[in-house]
Formats: sequence, C-alpha cells, structure tokens
Amino acid sequence: MYSTNYRVFWTMVFLGLCLPFLSVAQSLSGRVLDATSSSPLIGATVTWLGTTQATSTDATGYFQLKAAPSGESSLLVTYIGYKSDTIQVQGRSNLVIKLQSSGSLKEVTVTAKQDRYNAMTPTNSQVITAMDLTKSACCNLAESFETNASVEVSTSDAVSGAKQIQMLGLDGSYTLMTTDNVPALRGLATPYRLNYLSGTYIEAIDIIKGTGSVLNGYESISGQVNVRLRDPEKSDRLYVNLYGNSFAKWDANVNASATLTPKLSTILMLHTDQMANRIDGNDDGFLDLPLGKHYNVFNKWKYNTGKQWVAELGLQALRETRTGGQVGYRSGMPQVEGSFYGTESETDRYSAYSKTSYTFKNRPYQSLGLILSGSHHAFDSNYGARTYNGRQNSGLANLIFQSAFGNTAHTYKTGLSYQLEDYQEELAGKDYTRKEQVPGAFFEYIYQNSTNLTLVGGVRADHHNLYGWVYTPRFNVKYDFTPNTILRLAAGKGFRVANPIAENVASLISNREFVLKDNLAPEKAWNLGGSFTQYFEVGARKGAFITDYYYTSFQNQVVPDMYSSPYQVVFSNLDGRSFSKSFQAELQYELTEMLDVKAAYKYFDVRTTYNDQLLQRPFIPNHRAFLNLGFATPFDKWRADLTAQWFGPRPVPDMEGGHLNGGNSPDGIIKTRTVSPYAVFNGQVTRAFKKWEVYLGGENLLNYKQKNPIIAADRPFSQNFDASMVWAPITGRLIYAGMRFTIK
Amino acid sequence: MKTLKIWMLALVMTGFATVGFAANGKKGDEVKFKTSAVCGMCKATIEKGLAYEKGVEKAVLDVDSKIVTVTYDAKKTSPEKLKKAVNELGYDADDSPATPRAYDRLDECCKKDSAH
Repeated sequence: MYSTNYRVFWTMVFLGLCLPFLSVAQSLSGRVLDATSSSPLIGATVTWLGTTQATSTDATGYFQLKAAPSGESSLLVTYIGYKSDTIQVQGRSNLVIKLQSSGSLKEVTVTAKQDRYNAMTPTNSQVITAMDLTKSACCNLAESFETNASVEVSTSDAVSGAKQIQMLGLDGSYTLMTTDNVPALRGLATPYRLNYLSGTYIEAIDIIKGTGSVLNGYESISGQVNVRLRDPEKSDRLYVNLYGNSFAKWDANVNASATLTPKLSTILMLHTDQMANRIDGNDDGFLDLPLGKHYNVFNKWKYNTGKQWVAELGLQALRETRTGGQVGYRSGMPQVEGSFYGTESETDRYSAYSKTSYTFKNRPYQSLGLILSGSHHAFDSNYGARTYNGRQNSGLANLIFQSAFGNTAHTYKTGLSYQLEDYQEELAGKDYTRKEQVPGAFFEYIYQNSTNLTLVGGVRADHHNLYGWVYTPRFNVKYDFTPNTILRLAAGKGFRVANPIAENVASLISNREFVLKDNLAPEKAWNLGGSFTQYFEVGARKGAFITDYYYTSFQNQVVPDMYSSPYQVVFSNLDGRSFSKSFQAELQYELTEMLDVKAAYKYFDVRTTYNDQLLQRPFIPNHRAFLNLGFATPFDKWRADLTAQWFGPRPVPDMEGGHLNGGNSPDGIIKTRTVSPYAVFNGQVTRAFKKWEVYLGGENLLNYKQKNPIIAADRPFSQNFDASMVWAPITGRLIYAGMRFTIK
Repeated sequence: MKTLKIWMLALVMTGFATVGFAANGKKGDEVKFKTSAVCGMCKATIEKGLAYEKGVEKAVLDVDSKIVTVTYDAKKTSPEKLKKAVNELGYDADDSPATPRAYDRLDECCKKDSAH
C-alpha cells in the first residue's frame, strides 16, 4: 500500500521536482503485471477507489475503465496472492501497474499523457495543454493565455508593444514565473519576458493561483506560472511553424530533437520574429507596433538512466532589437524638438540551468535534487532623450531532499537555497546598483490520507544581505467532500524586492520625471483564498464548475504614483492600505461531442493608497467576462475556436485635465474618469493533415481601438506627452495565417 | 482586408464540403489487417492515424480480435499503403512488422512485448 505512494512521489521527483501536477483522466487503460516476472495478471480487479465502478483485466493483463465520476483519482488494484495497491492516476490515461506477490516489495511504474482539468493538486491549478496552445496564435507566451480565463494579458503602453500578464488583478511581477519549475526571467527581464519564450518551446503551462509552495522561493504573491518546455525524450524529430500576419510580422520556429544514446536525448529549438512594416492605423503619427528583430535559441539535454539518476541541462541565448516611436523616426536621430521622437532597445540574454536528481535505491520515495541556474541579462535602451540601461547577473542554487516520516501519508521536502542577484541600472545618467545575496532554508510537510484530505504546510527562512531575515509561511488544504466536490484553501506570505524602473518601463514613454524615494523597502503581502470545484455530468457530457476568491493585502508595496502629479512618477513605500479582492466563477462544459464551452465571470476590487487617498487601482475593470467556444471534428481534423472577452467600465487617471490645469488639481484630489466597456473577439480555424496543419485566424475581429491612446502625440518633446495611458487595444483587427509541419 | 475575408470564407466552405463528403459514406473498398494492437489506447492511435491517411474513409479496430477494418477509396490508396501506414504507427499489420522507431515511441502499455 505504502510503496505505491512512494512510487508516485518518486515519479513526481522524476518529472520535475515538485508541485504542479494536474488533471483527471478522461478514460483510463492499462495493464496489470507481475512485478518480478512482468507476466500479465489475468482477472485482476481494478476499481475506482470509493466507487463500485470496476473492471477486470483480460487474458493479456489489459483493462479499460471509463473515467469515474470525474474527479476520481485513485485506483484500487487487487489480485489474489498479490498485495493490493492504490494508485494515484494523476491525469494519466494509461498505466502499467506491477503488483508484488504477497511477501515481497511492490513496485508500480506510471507512464502516460496528461489531460486538462485537475483534481489532484493541493493548490488551485489549471493546465494549458499543448493542444490549447495551438488554439491561439503561435508566437510567444503572451498569446498562450488567450484561451484561458485566469490570466489576463494587457498591453502596457502605446509604443513599445510590451505585454504584461495579470493574475488576481495584480501586476505580472507578483506572479512567479518558472520554466520546468526553475525560477526564470526575473528582475530586469520582467517587462518583455513574455516574448522570451516562443510558443513552440512550450509543452504545457501550469497556472497556480495563490502563494503556492515555499520550494521555489519567497517571491510569488498572486500565483505561479510554470512553463513546461518540450521534453527531449518525447518531442517530435522535427517541428516547423511558419506564421505571417496582416501587419507583415513574420515568425519562424524550428524544433529538432534527437535521441543520441538510449539514455541521452537533446532538443534544439530556434525562433525568430521580424517586424519591418511601419503601421500607423490610428494616424497619430506614431507606430502602433515597434519594428523589431528577435532571435532565440534554446537547447535542452536530458540524461536519463531509467534508474536512479536523471539530469537535465538547458541553455538559452536571445537577442532582440526594437525601434518604435514616430513614423518618421530612424535609428540614431537626435532627440530634440523639431526632430522625430523614437524609442530603441537592444537586449542580449544568456541563461543556463541544470537539474539533477538522485533517487535512493530501494527507497523510491526518497530523493535528492539539485537545481542550478544562472543568467546574464543586458539591455541598452532609450525613450526619446532618456536612456535606460541595465545589467543583471543572477545565480541560484537549490538543494531539495524529500522523504517520508514512517509512511507516505506523511512526506516532507526540505532543503537549502542560495540566490545571488547583481543589478546595475542607469536611468538618465543616474546609477542604481543592488547586490542581493540570500541564503535560505525551507521545510514543507505534506499529509495525505488515503481518501480525501491533503495538508501542505511550508515555511522558509532566508537571510537577505540588505533586508535581514525573511520568514515565509505558507499553508494549503485540499478536502474532497466527494470525488466530484473539492474544496481548497490557501494562505501564505510573499516577499519580493521591487525593481521599480524595470517594472514601469511603460511610464518611460512619457516625459515624466522618475522620482525614486530613498528608503524603498521590499514588498510584503499576505494572500488568503480558496476555491471550490464541482465536476458534474449532464446528459452524459462532462463539465466542471470552478469558483475562487482571493484576498491579497500588502504590508508594504512600492507604489508608482502617476496620479498626484502629471509630470512625475513618484515611487514610494505604501502609506496606508493596498489590497486586491478577486472573485472568479468559471463553467466548462462539453455541449456536444464536437463543441466545448468555457465561460467565466470575474470581479476585481483592487485598491491602493495614493497620496492618502484609497483609490481604485487605475486601468483595472471591476467586471470582466470571458467566453470560449472550441469546435473540433473527430480526430481533430478541423478545429475552430472563438474567444470573446468583455471588459467592464474602469477608472483611468484624468490626465488630460491634469495636464491642461498644469498640475494637480488645487484641492489635492486626484481626478479619474471612467472609460466605457468593450469586447474583444479572437478566432481561429485549423485544418490538420497527416504531417501538416494550416491555420487562419484573427485577433480583435471587431476592430475595437482606443481613440488617441497617446496624449500630446503631436508634441512628443513637450512635458504633456504620455503614451502610458493605455486601456484598450491600440492596434486594430489582425488577420494571420500559418502552417505547422511535423515529423514524428 | 476584404480579400482576406473572402479567403477565410472560402477555406471554411471547403472544410464543410470535405466533411460533408466524408459523411456521405460512399461505399468504398474494404480491407482487414490483423494488428499487434493490445489495448483501447491502441484503438485510438490506430483509428486516428488511419483517418489522416489519404483515401481512408473509415477505420475501426476491434480490440478483442485486434483486427482493423479499413474502408478506403481504391483510386487514392492501396492495401499495401495502408499496411505501411499501420506499421508507421508502431503496429504490425498481418505479416508486415512495425517500424522500429514508431514502435519505440508507443506508450509502454501499447507495446506488444511489454509482457515479456
């Protein structure tokens, strides 16, 4: 009984050290074998734990089992003369179960594929599968969230084309981003980081709401986005994707993988995108999208002995240049009145990571893992006359040991970490440097009873060379009232050191002065929340209803105040309250065999104290709605998707008023105005052939645009110029087409 | 922009036409192979794989007998080609063995040898 669980934990380590394990099997098949001789066991009974739904294996040991009342995740396998076994299915649809004859050690090997909805993890998690990724355009991580209701992607300004994610109504910098569960793309990389991973590099994305586990550090506050990169062992030999759109932006991707020896495999992933077309759809004299060239290489290696050792190595290099601003601007033009306004940036980034894990012999539940990662990020940029350059060198070491107390109902993970961050920033001639050295230790205890309760309690203590001791407690509970009715609760603390300039690059595209107060302290917040999941079946079709509520309260926050003065952005510590309340209700249902529906409603109440006034955070609508229709013919030969997003009215700072008045209103009250609601529609049609796929799609199909997104666009060198007041799409309808080619 | 719309429409129409044609169920030739399929998972793999083969109208695998019945258009494909297609999915078809690489990539439970 117990060593089965050991095997499950062993598998979890094997697959990437820790948490995000998602989904429920739709239908299950597998076979039951004798553990020592591997001969099939005929007539073994396989039952969904806690139900009467069962089957027995056939003459060759095979069984097939209909997905239990969805949500069911444990199988009970019994056979006379053998030890019974409970198996956590964990989203696999295909199992090999090895039973040990009574008296000797047991073993179970679990192999298979992953489905979408998750009933397993103690945290509120969702998966965007590789199939979902092909539903929206190809190009990078930003587009990957388009068919998902939990993460919003917004454009940060009207010039740079940068996109930001938001979760729980909070800025993307409060979301921890990891690739293969290694923290990645932090610090100065934040503003454009969604461009740094091509959609074709990605196998799946795990989205975790709430603070999550302590294993990956103290940073996550609103949640975690884990990007699972393609696995060299399982990838197609060749994958090519070509994309072009009506703005004349081109994208090309090539993935090639090879198994060099039975143990060693590698994948090389290449990506480039090119935008050379000057578009000014709203005739404000500014390019709607910057011109740019992006080159990106990712190489991943995997060494798998199939026994105790697994090692992985990832290497990435990228180079990106962007030129934006007025249509007449050419590189190198002087930035003075009478010339053209322009923005330029050049980014070079190199990074590497390695993961090694060792599983103890005859103790499959016990393992030791070492994660090392390092990166160098450098950029030079200018926004009009203002220059902003940065360098960041990062290093991270994480040693994780996991084992069990007595039996696998009580497991733990513990370890040591060391993080180094060396920042050098220069803004308008002023230097900002910071060197962080943070050794830390963590411990996480997991209790899992055999039926319906999981408790995860974690704590970490880190010593920050600049800010002293940091203690991070986090707690998760999952309780299954029935296999179909699941309640999760989470509470935890997050801590992070803000990078105010990098996180507010959009505001650089204005002539506001950046004022950083001297005593900026780290950001700290508590996040409390929970979710309720109900799986159901109506007319033999499956569905799920998921609702969640999270409350995030900041103890300190670095508040960018653009609202008290139109000519400055003042960064100061929070003085007063700052919080976010987020509610979401989502319904997923298979309407017919070919049509899937996802609908969601979201309510956000996000407020921060600016200049002694607790105001609704600008640009964040209170109400949002989301609808996704997915259509697919048998065998996915034809697929069509339509996504609609509706954004309710929202407050934006009344800058026009402020500018015209030449400053803050005399009574010191910050003026806001409300902008009207709007909806955005995206759609795509895909036709699959044996090795080919062609797709045609459109974004912003109704061509909704914010009128005059740039304030004082005709006088970019004047004090009033401001391109950061963006709340709706600035580019109009976009039509794209592309093809994918695969050799398996 | 208008041209693009027309293109899009044309593409969608072609799609429906294709689907409609397939659904008409024009009686084609039929061939049966004994495969090395072992489970329900294999059924899905084989049926989907064959559905993408040129000229195939329908493919049904009976898991118990391991026999796949393929309805096809003789003008577009031949039993030899279909046999090869089954091999390239990782399964034997009558006397013709599975392509080794495709076989290696099958999920563990779909391999005919996993019991030995």
